[in-house]
Amino acid sequence: MELGDRAIGFLLLLFSTTLFAYYTFWVIITPFVDSDHFVHSYFPAREYAIIIPGIAIAALVSFVLVFVGFVMVRASQGKPMAKSKTS
Amino acid sequence: MKQVWKIGTIFTAVVGIWISLLLTPGLPPSLQLIVPYFPMYALASLGCYGLGALGYGMMVFRVCPEEADLLQKDITEAKTFFKEHGVDLSSD
Repeated sequence: MELGDRAIGFLLLLFSTTLFAYYTFWVIITPFVDSDHFVHSYFPAREYAIIIPGIAIAALVSFVLVFVGFVMVRASQGKPMAKSKTS
Repeated sequence: MKQVWKIGTIFTAVVGIWISLLLTPGLPPSLQLIVPYFPMYALASLGCYGLGALGYGMMVFRVCPEEADLLQKDITEAKTFFKEHGVDLSSD
């Protein structure tokens, strides 16, 4: 059980470190590399460094708000039904 | 309310510094290429740090097997005590 948790934690740590290194290289180092160097083939156009995280953040916030709204609507629907049954 | 004001002023100051950096004409081209990407880079770093701290915490979390055994002993002891005194603690 704890071995599974340790493995997941390690994978998460590795994933976040790799993501940070890739993003740092993409945003800060690629503008200073010659445009015909092979390294540029590993990174998409630099504008996507703003577009992709922007869409991800918007999707995450939307999902959280929709979920909270859904739970609130379901809770308010449960109350009038219970009241009409007992009265 | 005071904490919100403090955070709000710090946030506004940082955003103001970023916008003024964006608008200065005399910036060296090395900085001029990177400045527009500062806020998204900060957000991405925060997200990566959060994930990494979570993973690291999962890795070093102690499980305490001795305390788990002692807790099980306490539970069985309490169950027998209550059964002797007539309280039924079975879960069905």
